[in-house]
Amino acid sequence: MRSLRLLIALTVGALMASTAGAQTTGLQLDVKKKTLKNGMRMLVLENHSAPVFSAIIRFNTGSVDEREGITGSSHLLEHMLFKGTKTIGTSNYQAEVPIMNRIDSLAHLMRAEQTRLISSLNPPDSARYKQLRQQIADAQAEQKKYVIKDELWSTYLQNGGTGLNASTNNDGTQYFLSLPKNRLELWAYLESDRLGNLVLREFYSERDVVMEERRLSLENQPRGTLDEAVSAATFWASPYKWPVVGWMSDLQTVLREDVESYFKSHYSPANAVAVIVGDVNADEVFALADKYFAAIPSLPPPPPVVTRDAPHTGERRVEVEYDANPSAFITWATPAIGHPDLPALDVAANILSSGRTSRFYKNIREKKIGMASAGVDYARYPSAFTCTANPFPGHTVQEMEDAVYAEIDRMKTEKVTDWELQKVRNQIDAQLTRSLESNQGLASRLASSEGVTGNWHDFADRNDAIRKVTADDVLRVVNTYLVKRNRTVAFITKTGAGKRPDRPMPNAPSNEMRPQ
Amino acid sequence: MKQCLYTMLVVLLYGATAMSADSPAGAKSPGSQKLAALSASPIQLTIPEVGKDVQRVALDNGLIIYLYENHRLPLCNAVAMLHCGSIYDSKDKSGLSGLVGTVMRTGGTTTISGDSLNNMMEFIGGSLETNIGTESGSASLSVMAKDFDLGLTLLADLLRHPLFPADKLDLAKTDVKSQIKRRNDDPNGVAGRSFANILYGDHPYGRITEWATVKSITPADLSDYHKRFFVPNNVMIAISGDFDSKTMIEKIKSLFGDWSRNADALPPPPAVESVVHPGVYEIVKDINQAYINIGQLGIKRDNPDRYAVQLMNYILGGGSFTSRLTSRVRSDEGLAYRTGSSFDIGSRDFGTFNAYCQTKAATAHKAMTIMMEEIRKIRENGVTAQELAEARDAAVNRTVFNFDTPGKIVRSLMSLEFDGWPMDFYKTYLDNYRKVTVDDIKRVAQKYLTPDSMTYVVVGKADTYDKPLDDFGKVTVTELAEPNLE
Repeated sequence: MRSLRLLIALTVGALMASTAGAQTTGLQLDVKKKTLKNGMRMLVLENHSAPVFSAIIRFNTGSVDEREGITGSSHLLEHMLFKGTKTIGTSNYQAEVPIMNRIDSLAHLMRAEQTRLISSLNPPDSARYKQLRQQIADAQAEQKKYVIKDELWSTYLQNGGTGLNASTNNDGTQYFLSLPKNRLELWAYLESDRLGNLVLREFYSERDVVMEERRLSLENQPRGTLDEAVSAATFWASPYKWPVVGWMSDLQTVLREDVESYFKSHYSPANAVAVIVGDVNADEVFALADKYFAAIPSLPPPPPVVTRDAPHTGERRVEVEYDANPSAFITWATPAIGHPDLPALDVAANILSSGRTSRFYKNIREKKIGMASAGVDYARYPSAFTCTANPFPGHTVQEMEDAVYAEIDRMKTEKVTDWELQKVRNQIDAQLTRSLESNQGLASRLASSEGVTGNWHDFADRNDAIRKVTADDVLRVVNTYLVKRNRTVAFITKTGAGKRPDRPMPNAPSNEMRPQ
Repeated sequence: MKQCLYTMLVVLLYGATAMSADSPAGAKSPGSQKLAALSASPIQLTIPEVGKDVQRVALDNGLIIYLYENHRLPLCNAVAMLHCGSIYDSKDKSGLSGLVGTVMRTGGTTTISGDSLNNMMEFIGGSLETNIGTESGSASLSVMAKDFDLGLTLLADLLRHPLFPADKLDLAKTDVKSQIKRRNDDPNGVAGRSFANILYGDHPYGRITEWATVKSITPADLSDYHKRFFVPNNVMIAISGDFDSKTMIEKIKSLFGDWSRNADALPPPPAVESVVHPGVYEIVKDINQAYINIGQLGIKRDNPDRYAVQLMNYILGGGSFTSRLTSRVRSDEGLAYRTGSSFDIGSRDFGTFNAYCQTKAATAHKAMTIMMEEIRKIRENGVTAQELAEARDAAVNRTVFNFDTPGKIVRSLMSLEFDGWPMDFYKTYLDNYRKVTVDDIKRVAQKYLTPDSMTYVVVGKADTYDKPLDDFGKVTVTELAEPNLE
């Protein structure tokens, strides 16, 4: 999710931007790369210090690739990839097909009824809606006799798999885990099977799960609610405006065939990169890749994302009334990854908020006004520089904003010091070395670099660029981007309990599939 | 076998529909043979040994050092651990341990200020942090190998001569005050805090720290705490990375050798009163889900049933998607994103069993009913041999990941001694899982899960639930009060 990525940028400061610098530290990453005949890329970094490996498969597909009506589909699809295939997770796929077709037909009828009911001219619910919902539930129950629950997940765990999960953000979707070394072929088989033979079974119950996830991680969390508000206000046109989990009304109505079609248009092998870091032999990995992944048919590349925001024309402010203490989320629009100004913005963020020697810590937290953090997004499309601001008791959001802006304004007139610049450089060197300790962390950085830019070494290049940033560069980018006209502020004003309107739409029909 | 269980669920949920009767018990997927073939080779596990891979050195003053020399990367890590923590905090000084853990680092030492320490560590891209939790404290150092001398010297200085200046204590208190003020913002925090408080009452495991006690804590309280707990015979240090062991041992002796031991043993912390607190505790918050925690007190870590309990809980709700709670509440019913159970087997005194989920308000009662059905079912019917095999294999086969980095190797071994386990712990570790039988699982489920006397904590708006919750027990309603910050 966008919020998660921002959190990472905010909490560990320069970490994401600091995993390279191989030249300076004398460390070389001996990454081997092979492109399969269907376009899928494989990266291998051998590390024989323990008999384990970490694996990640990343698709360059996230919520930014969606359109209104199917928002949340990247993430929903990520859930569906754990639901089995034609040969895994089922005792009889052929017998499931007619049932799924029946469910699809019913879902069409139900969506038509939902659409009718959303109009305020109609009552919020109907007997027909309830009947269709029950029919779908009955058909799903019928399908269950063939379903073998979570076979992929159980198999991985039984084989010692750890850190097994998947995640979706605005720009990408990744599937990852760590396994004992002699389970490499098991991984290749299970992963290639779910990319080549996916079956979207149990779709409508999983859609319910995702709605619960939205309530849990977004609607009932002040931070999530604020994040949704600030994104929708920062981006008026760009698909970064909707949350990764999707709008609730889209989740209520998205069909299995919508997500299946999204899978076909966005999960081309050429849009994927697989990374293995650990106690493996690169040639053996490539041979297994040829055996298992190369057979997945290639597909046309995903459609491009062309929608962009016009330059901001004035400050945007959004108030969120919520049962939580005041806090604020502030953004300034910035360019996409690859733009030469991002490293200087990254350095500015680091000097502002990374560690106890940072300016926010010294001048805001130690002065007991509150806590603030900053970070910049290295995203596929124009994104944002972000700050969070949480006032201490007795202080207001306005005081926090004033304090944050004062620090930023100081950077517009006074150059940052040589000591601060050198500190940032030293930190990225040390953090690169430290990142080599973890197979999984390194695999994730390689996958994201390769996925977003087509160059696994991008994070190293990025660090070289950070190392070259001068005090003049910081002064210039802060004056260019961190200006009021370019700013969006979302803030929470505390309400009393019970005053918030029900979400998400007053007239939406009760969406869940299950009989209540 | 799993399939058999699964069919029963279908019957319960949807009534006797035609398909449930002919559902194939123990059905296999077409891919299962291939999976079995690819899972057949044994998983290599070499458990590092003290005296062989890892060195243990005891100084005359009682300080114990574990060393693991490894030159793959030019990095060094050290973690000092000591017995202390909020279990020793008196009621009128609740919050003291946490403040010591923070100010020890931010306040610096008698010879180097906290601010100078920040400048030095951040400039070299290193990290030196202290923290005190419920049952232990730690000081962690991570630096490039070339900076290890400096880092270790600072670590020793912090452990031995912290200053605890008033201004940094005030800053730390402001942070705590802010956390107290914000503690009702996140429903998960509300649920967890309330659950522990109901089960443990005023015992430090469940005590809620208020501003009144935090406010009263003085620099002298912090210094006294330091004198009491920070003595070499109460501290162990795990060191790993790119160094020469012989030189390192000399360095350690020069930094810590003249640190005086304390003859007084720590008093035992207050004991948890092992009683049940049955009932439904509704906590009012304006959210659109019910945050549900169901549970009771569990076991102490020295309980020989800990392995059977862990596997039992894996099958019930600890094994993520593989578990019964997730399979039913999430996968079958679509009622929750996060659901499962935890059964703490690592706490010194009684830990907790906690079955949880967050579901939309309109299915709160339904989700709780299903969760209780699963808890009752595992007590009454036990588990299948296949479920046990999956749980056991997962526990055994992931052990290799306890030792996959130099830091984990040395910390895994040191923590055995720190927690009082025998040094040959890992000799029997895997067998402890392999010995567990399906009868053991049923026995521990019956012994440690008592569904008729469980505590139900539910955060949300009760008037939006599908049914009143009083059929789970006597309902107590709590309104969240604004914390007193005077």
